[in-house]
Amino acid sequence: MTERFERGALGRMRLHVLPTKRFKTFAISLFAGVPLTESRVTSVALTPFVLRRGTERYPETIAFRERLDELYGAGFGFDLYKRGDYQIVHFKLDIVGDRFVSSSEPLLQEALRFLGEAVTAPVLEDGAFRRRYVEAEKTTVRKRIEAIVNDKIRYASERCVEEMCRDEPYRLPAIGRKEDLDGITAPSLYERYREWLGQAALDLYVSGDTSLDEVSRLAAAAFRLPDGQPAEYRRPRLRRAAGEPRTVVERLDVGQGKLNMGMRAGALYGEPEYPALLVYNGLLGGFPHSKLFMNVREKASLAYYASSRLDGHKGLITIQSGIEIGNFERAVGIIREQLDAMRRGEFGEDDLNRTKAMLASQVRELQDSAFERIAFDFNAVLSGIDQTGEDLIAGVEAVTPEDVVQAASGVELDTIYFLRDRKGEA
Amino acid sequence: MAKREYAQLQETLYSERLDNGLEVHVLPKPGFTKTYAVFQTRYGSVDNHFRPPGGQPIRVPDGIAHFLEHKMFEEPEGDVFARFASQGASANAYTSFDRTVYLFSATRSVDANLTTLLDFVQHPYFTDENVEKEKGIIIQEINMYQDNPDWRVYYGLIGALYRNHPVHIDIAGTAESVRSITKEMLYDCYRTFYHPSNMSLFVVGGVDPEATLALVRANQADKSFGPGGDIVRLFDVEPMQIRQALIETKLPVSLPKCLFGFKEEPVAADGEAAVRRELAIKVALDALLSGSSPLYQALYDDNLISDGFGFEYNTGPGYAFSVIGGDTRDPQEMVERISAALEESAARGLDPDTFERTRRKKIGAYLRMLNSPEAIAGEFTRYRNKGADLFELIGVYESLTLEEANARLREHVHPQRRAVSVVRGDSA
Repeated sequence: MTERFERGALGRMRLHVLPTKRFKTFAISLFAGVPLTESRVTSVALTPFVLRRGTERYPETIAFRERLDELYGAGFGFDLYKRGDYQIVHFKLDIVGDRFVSSSEPLLQEALRFLGEAVTAPVLEDGAFRRRYVEAEKTTVRKRIEAIVNDKIRYASERCVEEMCRDEPYRLPAIGRKEDLDGITAPSLYERYREWLGQAALDLYVSGDTSLDEVSRLAAAAFRLPDGQPAEYRRPRLRRAAGEPRTVVERLDVGQGKLNMGMRAGALYGEPEYPALLVYNGLLGGFPHSKLFMNVREKASLAYYASSRLDGHKGLITIQSGIEIGNFERAVGIIREQLDAMRRGEFGEDDLNRTKAMLASQVRELQDSAFERIAFDFNAVLSGIDQTGEDLIAGVEAVTPEDVVQAASGVELDTIYFLRDRKGEA
Repeated sequence: MAKREYAQLQETLYSERLDNGLEVHVLPKPGFTKTYAVFQTRYGSVDNHFRPPGGQPIRVPDGIAHFLEHKMFEEPEGDVFARFASQGASANAYTSFDRTVYLFSATRSVDANLTTLLDFVQHPYFTDENVEKEKGIIIQEINMYQDNPDWRVYYGLIGALYRNHPVHIDIAGTAESVRSITKEMLYDCYRTFYHPSNMSLFVVGGVDPEATLALVRANQADKSFGPGGDIVRLFDVEPMQIRQALIETKLPVSLPKCLFGFKEEPVAADGEAAVRRELAIKVALDALLSGSSPLYQALYDDNLISDGFGFEYNTGPGYAFSVIGGDTRDPQEMVERISAALEESAARGLDPDTFERTRRKKIGAYLRMLNSPEAIAGEFTRYRNKGADLFELIGVYESLTLEEANARLREHVHPQRRAVSVVRGDSA
């Protein structure tokens, strides 16, 4: 039997603690989520970049980072992403457990203090963020935004979703928009940051050799948060595809074409139909035995990669493949045949069983990584449900071929995006 | 079966060398759901010229080890992925400079999956038709990397550092070399490098070591292999000079990408001596270049590096080099400033406090790595190939001295053995 999360709350922050001795470290995650909006997407994105520069206690970046080195090279970082219609900042910290090293300081206490101060006690000057840090991090964010195009696979994938969701907040990139950066100043960002702390849904997770009581006590001393109640997440409204699929072709200096196809799905994470949708995506393109891999790669030799990905929080399925530019129509044709075949229920019992076995195994494997267990649990928090890995596996195992066909009927192709070369450009 | 306990790490390793030469290691992780198995051969992209046991020297096309890895997944009765999937396992493989690794992870049917892993890697099935079909797929894989500036700048650097050593050749080869591969060549390579005496198996996770070893023993006893013998790998002499000081590649990028590194004189060392050399230079580079160093912060403040800046040290048979850099507005200024700082530190020596803090950080990173069965399996076999033991690294870190790190730094930082690789767009 695997360990369970213990739950509590500390003012605006929900606490989730997984007491376990299986790992050599403490894993700590803090998720802060606010609805994606055009007006604040860039300031929210910039905030963690500035927070990692220094705190009241360690105002200089070198000292701030040396402190992490002293804590046995504690890993500290953050990710920015979209979940449903939310923009999430995910701070992560992992640090060695006391029993493996001879430390003079209690390491969990020091780690939580470090994280709490990084997020809630930044270094200030004139009642705002330090101007030098804000300007430097604006440059860093600008460079990150500009660099997205360097990785053509990622660029094509983001462009496809942007085109598909062009009249929804979801079109906005989690890293923010370049055009907003110039208008951000240290005082304006600090004001936005205080609002963000006061409004974000906050979830603190700790896994390791500890307890809810200990974490509550340490977190209360480490975080300086505004008073209030925890904020709840709401599921987004599902959209349907708008009639005939729209084709978008973009030209850049590339050798290989990147074909991305965006589809609307009929269910969200946490809904009763979700397990069938997971199985649908697995049969279509989640694995090497799936239709896309078998038909685009193995049978037609058109591509090295051809797969599909389900975003259950937004209700999207995206397909991605890298192909010879002249093979665009042939590849689209083969992929659309696979979508039609799924709709007609043309998949073998063998493949259905393989897909279920793989999905169940993926969920079981999460148990062996503290951060993956945390991420899985946070999905449930985001969806407002109470679901364990066992629940999801049971749901997957109960899926019938009819359920998959039902899920397929809710999947609608919306956008075909193709990134190609400049040859023959008009 | 030998049992080794590593008390400080709270790990126990079981090992055995079977009669056919296969080395087997099992690391039980009580309470873990997943089992992860890695079956590797000491055969990678650099092994393109060799003499098989009792045979004549053979030169094979670039990219053949990687091609062979792709083709192993095909069996007469179909694709091996499907069989793993039926058993709930996800399988994968990769080819590096000096090894080819096949692996699976599973939470159920571990015995069946282990049998599948051993059987498919020990059963080649190449036909003219299936070899031909794979070429289109691999050429798309090569094309994908050609469009990737990070990959281009990295391999550009190795190509600038090395003249003859095959480490400078793309692991996947070129479209042309891939087209020239035949099933006969694949069988030649297979027979040479996939003999059990050139291979090892590592299993980590929620398994019983006794039962796992018994299964592997029985599986291997049912198969017959030739006598094996010494494989002679033939390398042309690599001069100490680099091939070229600067290589530039055009590709659309938002900012130039620049990596540079130093090529080291190869030193015949293995076991703990080799590991000490590796860790000493890694600690020294970390002390000087990590995010908490004054140099990093100064370069960041001057907008010469961005937060993607990084560095690594790479070593294998006949090669050892560093890779330093990232995106920069001015490649030349970045390289000169870092080089000057490295030369100065090499002359003056590292600050003792910084050395201690860095050692502590590396120990922490090492312990964190031991949380991941995937990382353990990959790193254990990598160190094993060097004749070293992953679980003894903590002792090496603890006993490393400032003098060793300084000596390695002086040895490494050599302006004449520096090369620079830059990828920039037309306008940049």
